[in-house]
Amino acid sequence: MTTKNLDQENDLSHSAATDLWVGIKSWQIWFTLGQHDIKQRYRRSVIGPFWFTLSTAIMVGVLGVLYSTLLKQKIDDYLPYLGVGLVVWQYFATTVLESCIGLISMSYLIKQIRIPLTIHVCRVIWRNFVILMHSLPVAILTLFIFGHKIGVEILLLPLGLIIILLHGVWIGTVLAILCARFRDIPPIIGNVVQIAFFFTPVMWSPEALKDRAWVAQFNPIYHLLEIVRAPIVGRPILLESWVWSIAFLVVGFTFAQWLLTKCRERIPYWL
Amino acid sequence: MTASIIADDITVSFPIYENSHRSLKNAVLNKSTGGRIAKGVGSYPVVTALDGLSFKFEEGARIGLVGHNGSGKTTLLRVLSGVYAPVTGHLRVEGRVASLLDVSMGLDPDATGFENIYLRGIMDGLKPAKIRSKIDEIAEFSELEEYLNLPVRTYSSGMMLRLAFAISTNVEADILIMDEWLSVGDAAFGIKASQRLEELIGKASILIMASHDAKLVEKVCNRRILLEHGKIISDEMLPEHEEHDGHVQDNSVVNLGSHP
Repeated sequence: MTTKNLDQENDLSHSAATDLWVGIKSWQIWFTLGQHDIKQRYRRSVIGPFWFTLSTAIMVGVLGVLYSTLLKQKIDDYLPYLGVGLVVWQYFATTVLESCIGLISMSYLIKQIRIPLTIHVCRVIWRNFVILMHSLPVAILTLFIFGHKIGVEILLLPLGLIIILLHGVWIGTVLAILCARFRDIPPIIGNVVQIAFFFTPVMWSPEALKDRAWVAQFNPIYHLLEIVRAPIVGRPILLESWVWSIAFLVVGFTFAQWLLTKCRERIPYWL
Repeated sequence: MTASIIADDITVSFPIYENSHRSLKNAVLNKSTGGRIAKGVGSYPVVTALDGLSFKFEEGARIGLVGHNGSGKTTLLRVLSGVYAPVTGHLRVEGRVASLLDVSMGLDPDATGFENIYLRGIMDGLKPAKIRSKIDEIAEFSELEEYLNLPVRTYSSGMMLRLAFAISTNVEADILIMDEWLSVGDAAFGIKASQRLEELIGKASILIMASHDAKLVEKVCNRRILLEHGKIISDEMLPEHEEHDGHVQDNSVVNLGSHP
């Protein structure tokens, strides 16, 4: 019998219960596929993925000037705050929206090759993470433009980024499965994301709410945003944000694992 | 360990969701109203594609699946290739499976030929170094040369099929699953493709092929299973040919001209 030579191959055999783990472990596959998606999107342009960089620069610049005036904030503090918030928000929003069709749009592959379904989800997350990596530097650049100094807190940034990357994986897995079964969920999610944008301190800071700042504290997205934003713009590092984010991660992955174990083998029938 | 497939009472049924069954709103309403408002949500039609199949394929088996359209042949092939899990019953597959079902389905139209070879290799679990060694082989076999640098959507359907064939037959497998004999391209390429397929079949320890061509099944296979409405109607051994290793000597069957 032909056996797998593990120097040359990744072992992709999995059951419903191991789908998530085998999928995440096969990083070479989703890494390549995600990278391919980005290349594909900008195939005919000269600057390629730096379009993300450019469009972020324009958006942050325009919105920064507009809203710092409207909200009567000092632009040199406001612009970096808005910049980081906006690019991280965009990562969440597109991750969520694209995950909804993550399995539906891959049905031609799912009915062809048996590989862990998590790989299809990770592909979506990874390409959005790469986009984030192209636009985050713009936000950081605004700090330098306004003469801010980067503090030692920046050392927490890699950890924060890893946490939001992992959050993408469980959220994506759950949404992709639910949307494969119930086709009216994607538009609902679209609405929720839009509303969530206004409820989350992206454009405004929770301090502006004064005695109603608790609205932000109970918003898990705020905490996820803060573990990336605070280390960059030098806001106080809140322990509760890290605790929230990590606890939420554990709960999320447990749920994703449960759902996948229950539904993995049924999903091809739904597509 | 040898290659084998053991199926014990496997059943596959497809839920047919119409729009209302795809709706979360209706499913929720149905829960809260006991089905009065969203009628018919709880019960959707189910099509039983395979109905309690049991069989055992061992080393050297050359299975020909025959039956009318909709008798469950392709579904069975999909189950054996791991895409669909049986709803009930047990299936045990030992050995590496390669399936040649809808070979051109997995191609990404916007990616170039080379990229498609690479992507497919990645999804088959191959490491980059191994894929690079395969790329030349596949490129040479498909004879597409510089076209491989163009997006697949610019190919003619014949070229696309050549690429798909070259990619999907470049595998090592114990168990080979085929839906009809693949014949590709013009006369010259057709002969080459046919040889490649025979070679692949020769190397595989188990072949499962669905076909409407009775003569072909008699030539290639040593066991014929007739399916009807998802059930096995008959399962018979076929008389051995001299070339029982799966070679098709008489190529007229696949109308590809004579063998060199």
